[in-house]
Amino acid sequence: MERGDKAAASTCLLRARGGDATKGCIFLDYLSEGFLQGFSLIFSGNEEVWSAVAVTLKLSGLSMLVTLLFGIPAGFALGYFTFPGKSLLRLLVDTLLSIPTVVVGLFVYAFISNRGPLGQFELLFTIPGMAIGQTILALPIVLALTASAVESADSRLRFTLLTLGARGRRLLFSTLWEGRHQILLAAVTAYGRVTAEVGVSMMLGGNIKWHTRTVTTAITLETGKGEFSTGIALGVLLLCLSFVLNWAVSFLRRRGAA
Amino acid sequence: MMHKTPLYELTNIVCAYEDEPVLQVDSLAIPDEGPVAFVGHNGSGKSTLLKLLSFLLPQVSGELRFLGETQDKKDDARLHATLLLQEPYLLRRSVFENIAYGLRARGEASLRERVVEALEMVGLSADFARREWYQLSGGEARRVALASRLALRTRVLLLDEPTANVDEENAQLMAEAVLDAWKRWNTTPLIATHDLQWLDTVTQRRIFMRRGKIERIAL
Repeated sequence: MERGDKAAASTCLLRARGGDATKGCIFLDYLSEGFLQGFSLIFSGNEEVWSAVAVTLKLSGLSMLVTLLFGIPAGFALGYFTFPGKSLLRLLVDTLLSIPTVVVGLFVYAFISNRGPLGQFELLFTIPGMAIGQTILALPIVLALTASAVESADSRLRFTLLTLGARGRRLLFSTLWEGRHQILLAAVTAYGRVTAEVGVSMMLGGNIKWHTRTVTTAITLETGKGEFSTGIALGVLLLCLSFVLNWAVSFLRRRGAA
Repeated sequence: MMHKTPLYELTNIVCAYEDEPVLQVDSLAIPDEGPVAFVGHNGSGKSTLLKLLSFLLPQVSGELRFLGETQDKKDDARLHATLLLQEPYLLRRSVFENIAYGLRARGEASLRERVVEALEMVGLSADFARREWYQLSGGEARRVALASRLALRTRVLLLDEPTANVDEENAQLMAEAVLDAWKRWNTTPLIATHDLQWLDTVTQRRIFMRRGKIERIAL
């Protein structure tokens, strides 16, 4: 595979020197060859590829579990209740929506590295350590979108629930349940963010083969090494995941609006 | 001669939205003798009065008595009076769950029978219970919303403009359903409307309202 890749790359370069007319054609050959080899890596069960997929799923599963456990109740409270400092908190959450992944990586690194306050737990270069960073990335998304879902609930909902006899916890849970499509949308959006990020995984995981190498860090590494087909194989898998997520988002949007 | 306790007694009631008074009632007793209608133009305070009487909106001042008692615990009071909004909201659930919701909140048993009974009262078959909220037409959604209130067998059923955007057939069905509930369970309908033709089929007992005040009582 490696030889094939390198040969394709050098052929492309040589032919490309021949003139602009053939350049595009050669590039397409090169790309299609990469795709073919990528698919063959996926379907032949290449251990390196599937190890990166397994780490990605384990990591994103862990970070999403923590994110949803804290994010949904906190987001609901943020949207449902009125309290002093609420607008300031909303502003802070909204600001964190666009926080760069490397900044999160940097701060968490400082906390979990040997000299950091959480150094004793030896979380650096482990999946739980990476999950801390990804949770910080995903939490503002779930918080902000859940709060917005509750705030934008139909004004007749509260009257309807009350007049049907809801009170206390039933009233709160029913309000949350009515916004379930938007909350699921928030979860799917956050999942998309954590599976696509590179910064946190690279800084906190160290891109260690078989242990902390995710799909995105593997793509970065393999492309840098000139292993185009492995990069494409991983890219295709990530695109499939993205397709499923986007399909889910569009389905939930339609259902939520119905 | 024994006087029956009025359904509601209002004394010096003021209701306001953002410090702007929208309803002022010096004295009003609504007798417990059958359906009563509140008649008036838009902005006359009918909807606010219905929200007050269904314990969804607190008064700024004054006293409200329900069957002779001031209702300090609004959550408990709401179990006796339910309101159907002018544009009813259906929960994002099946028809069955919409109708069973209030029954579950009251810890009622035999949900299936109660749901089917309520559906039949509004002219819908038992199979209809399986439908989802997004599969209903406007008229069907309104009938399901009414069924969800009828199933509760509350002491009072408050209806805000029940015939707004409803065709003649549906309007007639709704009139029959609320009168049926009154006869079966003594559920007193209190109706806010300006559809006088439809109102004739339900009751002649009317309270006329204008600019947030009671203008005339014809009970």
